[in-house]
Amino acid sequence: MARKLKVWVDPHTCVGNAMCESIAPRVFRLNENRQSEAVDPAGDSEAKILEAAENCPVSAIFVEDAETGERLFP
Amino acid sequence: MLTTVQDNLFSPDVIANPYAFYGRLRGEDPVHWNETYALWLITRHDDLVWLTRHHELFSSAVFRNDPRPAYPAIDESDLGLYEYVKNYQGDQFIQHDRPAHLEMRRVMHGYFTPKSMEAWRPFVRDAVKELLDAAEAKGEMDVMRDLATPLPVLVIAEMMGVPKEDRLYIRQLAEKLLYIGRGDYDRMKPLTEGMRGMIEYVSPLIDKRIVDPGDDFISVLARGEKQGVFTRHQVLVNTSLLLLAGHETTINLLCNGTLALTRHPDQWELLKQDPAGRAKQATEECLRYDSPVISIQRIATEDVEMRGKVLRKDDRVRWFISSANRDPEAFPNADTFDISRHPNQHVAFGSGTHHCLGATLARVEGQEVFRALAERFPNLRAETEDLEYQPSITFRSLKSLPVTWH
Repeated sequence: MARKLKVWVDPHTCVGNAMCESIAPRVFRLNENRQSEAVDPAGDSEAKILEAAENCPVSAIFVEDAETGERLFP
Repeated sequence: MLTTVQDNLFSPDVIANPYAFYGRLRGEDPVHWNETYALWLITRHDDLVWLTRHHELFSSAVFRNDPRPAYPAIDESDLGLYEYVKNYQGDQFIQHDRPAHLEMRRVMHGYFTPKSMEAWRPFVRDAVKELLDAAEAKGEMDVMRDLATPLPVLVIAEMMGVPKEDRLYIRQLAEKLLYIGRGDYDRMKPLTEGMRGMIEYVSPLIDKRIVDPGDDFISVLARGEKQGVFTRHQVLVNTSLLLLAGHETTINLLCNGTLALTRHPDQWELLKQDPAGRAKQATEECLRYDSPVISIQRIATEDVEMRGKVLRKDDRVRWFISSANRDPEAFPNADTFDISRHPNQHVAFGSGTHHCLGATLARVEGQEVFRALAERFPNLRAETEDLEYQPSITFRSLKSLPVTWH
């Protein structure tokens, strides 16, 4: 059973590059401002989510273990 | 509406001070039709963000999708050369729309993540130190010639695995490629010389990486060819693009930023109090206050309404970073240089799917340079206020910046 994640995107930093959406499309979706939002933290594997976070050109994506609060990215 | 409109974007006063001209447009006619070049000028921050994030409405394939002749006009006998330029530019990944753009960008994107660029910081720091050692020994420095140009060329050449002795030659070719943003009637000759020279230069490097790949960036592009994402011509053109874009814009960040710091003694004092701690925000403010790139173009893919104006399908649309970054609606005291500014949502790197691939690298280089200057040359000041800019509407580029610290 995969651990539960807390995933969020900082709207003050996100530039709508949308690379996250192309890597993990079930987790990240662009909103009406064309900025990314984490819509379902369980939508893709942890590896995909971390890959999306690492590929954010402005480091706007944050990932934590939902239960322990351990920061997984950045 | 504007009563009198200066329509020559290349006129000496607009080149010298784009902020006054585009600032006035932003206030009075933010979606402005420029009759001379048959071109929309977009100058507000919120409009620029909206436009760049609606890539489906504004195509980046500006050479392939523009049926009109070059602007400003070129020598009629150079139309053949212009076709060459269109084919060359058209194969750059930045001149593509989705889905091809995404596929091409993904080949390169992973190389430029914030984490992997951070790993280059020690290399950048050492390179800055060497250049400043040399300047100190000489007792004088032209920031453009001795620091802002050699540093980014050195870094991108190292990333691309280009031999050290070729760096001067690359810069000479790059200077010809810069004619792309200029208005000279006969600009196609130097421009195509630069393009052909680049292709000729990078071709054997790519041949080698196809057979024997390494961990350099040319190998990344060569892999794109093997994956079927790039044609050989696209690998050639994009290697050339990365060599150029990988340094030209950073040159302007370093030069324009140094100038801004020397012109604002209170901000220079502030940086000197804590160079390591303040270099990051100072770099963001340098990017905003005197942005390396002035403007970029798109082509409307359908009729689009903006602020009561209708932009027709296939219209040229040019968005002005220099103006958006001084928009008082987006930044309090927008014309004030403030290295503590926070938040600072400037658009120096654009926005949306085409947000600058090399943004983090530029940031690292800016941070290291401004930090080192503040630590080593506390009395740094410009030698002269009589400065000249390249006549470009794309790049905000000084011709030279002599400084002293004695």
